[in-house]
Amino acid sequence: MNPEMLTKWLIRWGGTAAMIAVLTAGAGDGVAQESVAVRAALVTGTLPLDDPNAAAWNNAAPAVFPMSPQVHWPERIQQVTVQDLTVRALHDGTQIAVLLEYADPTEDPDDAAAIEFMVGDKKAHFAHGQPMLLVEGGPVNIWYWKSKDNKGVDLWAKGFGTLRPHEHQDVKAKGEYANGKWRVVFSRSLATDHPDEDAQITPGQFINIAFAVWDGRKDDAGQVIEKGSQKAVSSWWYFRAEPPPDYSGYVYAGVAAVLALGFQFVLIRKLKEGQSA
Amino acid sequence: MGRALIRPIVIMGAMYAFLKFVLPNIPGSAEIPASLIILYLLLTLSGIIIFETLSAESKDAFWGPMQRFLTGENIGGLQPLRYGILVLFPVLVGWQTYNATAPSDSPPAENRVIHPAPPGEYTGLANPVPKTPENIMQGKGFYAAFCSPCHGANFDGKGPAARGYNPPPANFADPTTIAMLQESYLFWRIKKGGVGLPIEGMPWKSAMPRWELELPDEWIWKIIMGEYDGAHQTPRTWE
Ligand code: HEC
Repeated sequence: MNPEMLTKWLIRWGGTAAMIAVLTAGAGDGVAQESVAVRAALVTGTLPLDDPNAAAWNNAAPAVFPMSPQVHWPERIQQVTVQDLTVRALHDGTQIAVLLEYADPTEDPDDAAAIEFMVGDKKAHFAHGQPMLLVEGGPVNIWYWKSKDNKGVDLWAKGFGTLRPHEHQDVKAKGEYANGKWRVVFSRSLATDHPDEDAQITPGQFINIAFAVWDGRKDDAGQVIEKGSQKAVSSWWYFRAEPPPDYSGYVYAGVAAVLALGFQFVLIRKLKEGQSA
Repeated sequence: MGRALIRPIVIMGAMYAFLKFVLPNIPGSAEIPASLIILYLLLTLSGIIIFETLSAESKDAFWGPMQRFLTGENIGGLQPLRYGILVLFPVLVGWQTYNATAPSDSPPAENRVIHPAPPGEYTGLANPVPKTPENIMQGKGFYAAFCSPCHGANFDGKGPAARGYNPPPANFADPTTIAMLQESYLFWRIKKGGVGLPIEGMPWKSAMPRWELELPDEWIWKIIMGEYDGAHQTPRTWE
């Protein structure tokens, strides 16, 4: 290869490489399906761990999820009170607080709400981690609150009929009812010592989350209408504790731009030398 | 020749050390992804190669005008364009690098396969129930009782219980659902439900019940008939 051909080849090759880099760099952006997520903002002050009405909640972006009457497995229920659930979350790098807010015309002792997470790496079916036939699933961790106890219960399940409270109760919860609305705050540390029982929350990582709500009102015979599997449910959505701000992208971009500039500079200088020679 | 090679090697080594060990320690920065290091080294390398190999003789029809454009010699009115390109190129490289490395802020992309292949034993089964008006009627009755809360009384996927489920219940009136499928495929889906889907169907998200636990096969075959009839679709036949 003579120098001239080599030069041509190099320019083309260099250009192609740069173009490939530029094109592939853009390829990561495409998202196939829009998913809705709860994003727990990172805060520096104190978390409103047991205050559903704290002003701090105003800074948390709400996510709204539609709820269905549970008709996936028996016992079914064809109508439920709660149609939509508004969820906010905050964390401080150590603890997480999740606020559920929903309209319920009556305050009843049996009103209840729950949050569900997958536990571990395996996917779990949203209905209590019931077994899947072709895929090995994992368990779920459920954070449960009931009006009359007004505290958090930390539960575990892998399939129907397996629901049981943890030995280690790590979850706190507190609800307050006002103006036809429940506001219930759940809190826990992001990580626990029991990764095979508890959902672990790592800032920056998306995990699955689902919800359930029971309106504890009674029928004329004095029976609670929404109880057990007869409840309002959601399917899996996403949840993420937001990571601390990361500016490395700007640094990388700066380095790349400087390199590209240097490349141009050297190229032009060398070309000028060639011309004057 | 031996000496000519030393300089590029030293430069590349220094560049690598800078990217790998110096840059990550600058406050606000972090470990640089391998793909990015490769991109940086590639740019450095092409600079070096051009620097080392470009000679006065390298001029020809292809290269001459481009060279004049880049150096800005006697290009008159094209000068602003030249500056534009010289500014734009580094900006573009920087921008694309930013896009490629900025931490992703969106939930994982989900590519759920809506119609995964059924297990072998469910291909080509024929509906054993005679297609009589009574059987179709009965199927529609079962459909109304068991399926319509999710799939809708109008077979449009908009039943009163549908709104919270993601993925949503299938819309049978849509020509891309059951009209594209064989009856045996429906038999499989209805019997095994969402939990019977293979991994690409994301079974953990599906609210479709596993009806084999609640309904006899004969009812399921009747429901299939009622479903096609009610949705004004016909099953895809065996080819
Ligand atoms: C709890 C709500 C619910 C009920 C009740 C329900 N389904 Fe479904 N069904 C779904 C959802 C959600 C999907 C989509 C996800 C999937 O494919 O698993 C679905 C999917 C299907 C499909 C697959 C369609 C396709 O294009 O692949 C068929 C067939 C089906 N359902 C039939 C029925 C029949 C028949 C009944 C009644 C016996 C029924 N479903 C009851 C929720 C439900």
